[in-house]
Amino acid sequence: MDALIFLLILATLIAMWRGKRRLAGALFAVSLVAVWMLFKHHATDTLPINL
Amino acid sequence: MTLFRLCIAITCILATCAVLLGALWAQFGAGEFPCPLCIIQRMAMMLAALGPAWLLCRAARGPVDAHDFAQCYACSILAALVGGTVSGRQVLLHIAPGDPGYGAPMFGMHLYTWAFVVFIVVVAVSGVQMLFLPKRSEVHRVGIGARSSVLLLGVIIAVNAVAVFVESGFHWYLPDNPTSNRLIDELRGKSGGEGGVESPEAMNGAMKP
Repeated sequence: MDALIFLLILATLIAMWRGKRRLAGALFAVSLVAVWMLFKHHATDTLPINL
Repeated sequence: MTLFRLCIAITCILATCAVLLGALWAQFGAGEFPCPLCIIQRMAMMLAALGPAWLLCRAARGPVDAHDFAQCYACSILAALVGGTVSGRQVLLHIAPGDPGYGAPMFGMHLYTWAFVVFIVVVAVSGVQMLFLPKRSEVHRVGIGARSSVLLLGVIIAVNAVAVFVESGFHWYLPDNPTSNRLIDELRGKSGGEGGVESPEAMNGAMKP
């Protein structure tokens, strides 16, 4: 998952480099949401502890 | 003023690249495996650097106006807000007295604390840039320095993609407390290749973000 998000960010940079404004904006938004969802997954992960 | 704005954008990218290279050095030079939250902070830092990179890319293709500046630096602010949230959470995870924190401190603070500082600086610099937006379109002459900085950012992103793939292997998520490169373990055929410590004892007090 993490590697895929890095590749998504790289694709965003390539789209910016090639002047594809709409595509770059869309990829940036998707990347940002993906990063937030990944954070949410780890932040809400159940800890394997017994209290 | 035109050259000044361009230099600020290049400096933002190079400063972010320097921090990301420092993180790579901590990973490969000092042998510290980055935790999931560390990786997410790297992603947010790259997204924050994409703002000025986008500005340079636009400037290379023609005149840029206030809307272009605002859009690019708004991207940086959004990414910095996400990154600041992640690094802030990691700081809070280790805020209890006696907690040694994750990894070795660098210049007196842990990497996630430095990351929090970096995200605050990104928001501040972007805010100042948006205060002084150009009143009309400007033509920027984008030279080899600007192109090289964007290229360097791309190379760092690609290196991170490979590094995190080696660390996570063919798993969807990294373990909370990675202790080895899962892909190498799997290729060597090691059994129990979780590549991380997830036992209650390890999680209790040594949670690596």
